[in-house]
Amino acid sequence: MANVLWLQGGACSGNTMSFLNAEEPTVVELITDFGLNILWHPTTGLQIGDQVQDLLKDIISGKVQMDILVYEGSIIQGPDNTGTMNFFADRPMMDWVKDLSKVAGYVVAIGDCATWGGINAVAPNPSESTGLQFLKKNKGGFLGADYVSKGGLPVINIPGCPAHPDWITQILVAISVGRIGDVLIDDYHRPKTFFTNFVQDGCTNVTNFAQKVDGGFGRRGGCLFYEVGCRGPMTRASCNNILWNRQSSKTRSNHPCLGCTEPGFPHHDLKKGSVFNTMKYLGTFPKEVPEGRTKLAYYMEAGFQKVMPTNKPITETSK
Amino acid sequence: MSITELNISPVGRVEGDLDVKVYIDNGKVTRAHTQAAMFRGFEKIMEGKDPQSGLIVTPRICGICGGSHLYCASSALDTAWGTKLTPNALLLRAIGQASETLQSIPRWFYAIFATDLANKKYADKPLYKEVVKRWSAYVGETFQVGLTASGLPVQIYALFGGQWPHSSYMVPGGVMCAPTLKDITRAHAILTQFKNDWLEPVWLGCSIERYMEIKTWDDMLDWVDENESQKNSDLGLLIRAGIEFGLDKFGQGVGKFLATGTYLHKDMYNNPTIEGRNAALISSSGFFDGENYHEFDHMKISEHVKHSWYKDQEDGLHPWDEPLPTPTKSQTLHDSNFDEKYSWSKAPRYDGHAAEAGPLARVIMNANPANKDHQIQDPLFGDIMKKLGPSVFTRVLARVHEAPRIYKFIEQWLSEIDLDGEFYIKPVEKDGKGFGATEAARGALAHWIEIKDGVIKNYQVMAPTTWNVGPQDGDDNPGPIETALLGTSIEDPSDPVEVGIVARSFDSCLVCTVHAHDAESGVELSRFKL
Repeated sequence: MANVLWLQGGACSGNTMSFLNAEEPTVVELITDFGLNILWHPTTGLQIGDQVQDLLKDIISGKVQMDILVYEGSIIQGPDNTGTMNFFADRPMMDWVKDLSKVAGYVVAIGDCATWGGINAVAPNPSESTGLQFLKKNKGGFLGADYVSKGGLPVINIPGCPAHPDWITQILVAISVGRIGDVLIDDYHRPKTFFTNFVQDGCTNVTNFAQKVDGGFGRRGGCLFYEVGCRGPMTRASCNNILWNRQSSKTRSNHPCLGCTEPGFPHHDLKKGSVFNTMKYLGTFPKEVPEGRTKLAYYMEAGFQKVMPTNKPITETSK
Repeated sequence: MSITELNISPVGRVEGDLDVKVYIDNGKVTRAHTQAAMFRGFEKIMEGKDPQSGLIVTPRICGICGGSHLYCASSALDTAWGTKLTPNALLLRAIGQASETLQSIPRWFYAIFATDLANKKYADKPLYKEVVKRWSAYVGETFQVGLTASGLPVQIYALFGGQWPHSSYMVPGGVMCAPTLKDITRAHAILTQFKNDWLEPVWLGCSIERYMEIKTWDDMLDWVDENESQKNSDLGLLIRAGIEFGLDKFGQGVGKFLATGTYLHKDMYNNPTIEGRNAALISSSGFFDGENYHEFDHMKISEHVKHSWYKDQEDGLHPWDEPLPTPTKSQTLHDSNFDEKYSWSKAPRYDGHAAEAGPLARVIMNANPANKDHQIQDPLFGDIMKKLGPSVFTRVLARVHEAPRIYKFIEQWLSEIDLDGEFYIKPVEKDGKGFGATEAARGALAHWIEIKDGVIKNYQVMAPTTWNVGPQDGDDNPGPIETALLGTSIEDPSDPVEVGIVARSFDSCLVCTVHAHDAESGVELSRFKL
């Protein structure tokens, strides 16, 4: 049994939408079978206006127990650290979060904005956005590097733009049934169970990657790493193992992985030439190589494969 | 009786942070102000960045209409770069747009809207018991069916875009994907499941074809009474309860409507231009002033910031001429001076008028007698506007009316994809201006881009929510929701549900509500303070 308060700061509701697509368990089952009691959700809660303000005050005063604070969206600190660009229930949202973080059993940041600032924090970061405990790769964020919740954990980060519904529901259930001790987190506070393997693990073009057969938009087969900036080999997430919406994933639909579960998304801050394009030295050597390999080793290996005359694209036909 | 002020912060169950202040005299709203309470500065973020940044950034403006933003962002680049679009590319974009909208219909209805009808305010109405039994969150008989079914259409989106929300599969020059026969077959199967699980048995109580025969309001009423199955379907109940609860009596709004139109025809927009867009639309664009239809011209759109928390600019500038917004100091709803600036939303105007965007605007355009053969021709809402006029009820009915038609479209478009054809033609990047638009589930959505020296110089987005929740303009004329709230009776100031109902009838964000009465025992599953 767990009482959940879900708040949105600098958010688009994308994670809420993703959460609604959950299967095994569905959102309905979470409530009816897994003992989650959602105290309020900004786009679902029945309470409005003063009713919400009273609930928040009751949580802060300890009258109502809040086992999990789910936060979606960035913490908006602008302008000049006042937080007044994001008023919520008659106060800057960041002030509510500060107070609520002191009484929360666990704090779960959902989606890139909440984890490390996300798109909102791209330069010039007009809203002075930050994540709860990170800003891009730097630990600290809004609550500070040393923050731990009453349950003894730092902010649990479920990154992604949006986060996959399984990542959200399974962590909420783990807390609700008292098994959060079985969840290990990595240096970026991500649950290791989802964020150890790479997006490339399970990609249907992995053979084309190995043999350096390039693909491109609107074509079947071929690897998107070398031409259109796929970040599958350096992004930790289970997308190609659990699939999205039960059907597919970005790379399976010929869409380059954007690396949205890694701090720093959108990578290179969207500078010219970085969108759907692999950045290269001398027009040949990818500036970023698969995680776990040195540039030199990768260039040699890839160069060798490139000149092999035996490489044939592995392509599904249309019918 | 003295005038009382009611501050509602947050309104809740509307996308983004909406606060409303209403002044009540004798139980009725005499003045209302909407306040958008959050600023992120997306347009500013894109300045100086890669021209294609909009494909990644703009879907993240709104997680509910992300696919619609993508449709606009790719279209804006198409016109700026003068790309070529194959029939396949246009079909796959339209399928994505349509699946997103189809998803939103049951999700919005059950999660956002119908739960308000289970409010105690309506407890003395004869149909209240049935409404509670069916539409209470989580435990309602059809709530669960509807909500589960709402995840199906976006599975189709994921087949072609990889995932929903937040794919960027529509790119200038076409789409990224190159589906195979198995993808098409699977999409058909998912669509059929949506029909068999919810659309026909639960929602309509009849076949899609039978429902689409309805042409007038009288036809609609006859349809309800035709048999028990239709009368007792969720749509049948909505029509009966909507009238019984008096939803047709409030929330009129400004009575002027704008649709940017959507679904570009596969054979009519292969060389995308701004001028050629209106003629290529399947769901037509237009402006309806309450009497007459006018052809949509994006150059007649302007924005005002007199009451918005941005540095003053000349009033009524076209998006291409607008500076990127510079934020100014904001206040809480409580401390706002409504003669000054009071919202993060700008105030868009069409030809000087405030206009309502949304499904109602769309179906009013569908009733335009001037529509061409390839465009939707559906007189129903022309008739309903004459007989009932705009109201919460009319707006809600318009929203759910589209489901059967969209279903038929997706079915048709899937079958028209040529598996051996092209899906993408690589464009040549260049500087210039572009305009792209669509109809998101919640209405007119448009993007304007200017590219200079190979990077974004100006990017302006106008979302349906901007049209609807925008504040007063330069002449202090109120926006659509502000107007729609006027005259609304507030029964209980401690639970101003009526304000929520009006705001939500404008197709607010759609998420499932976590409040619940167990229909059997009346036990509350979660704390709901009365």
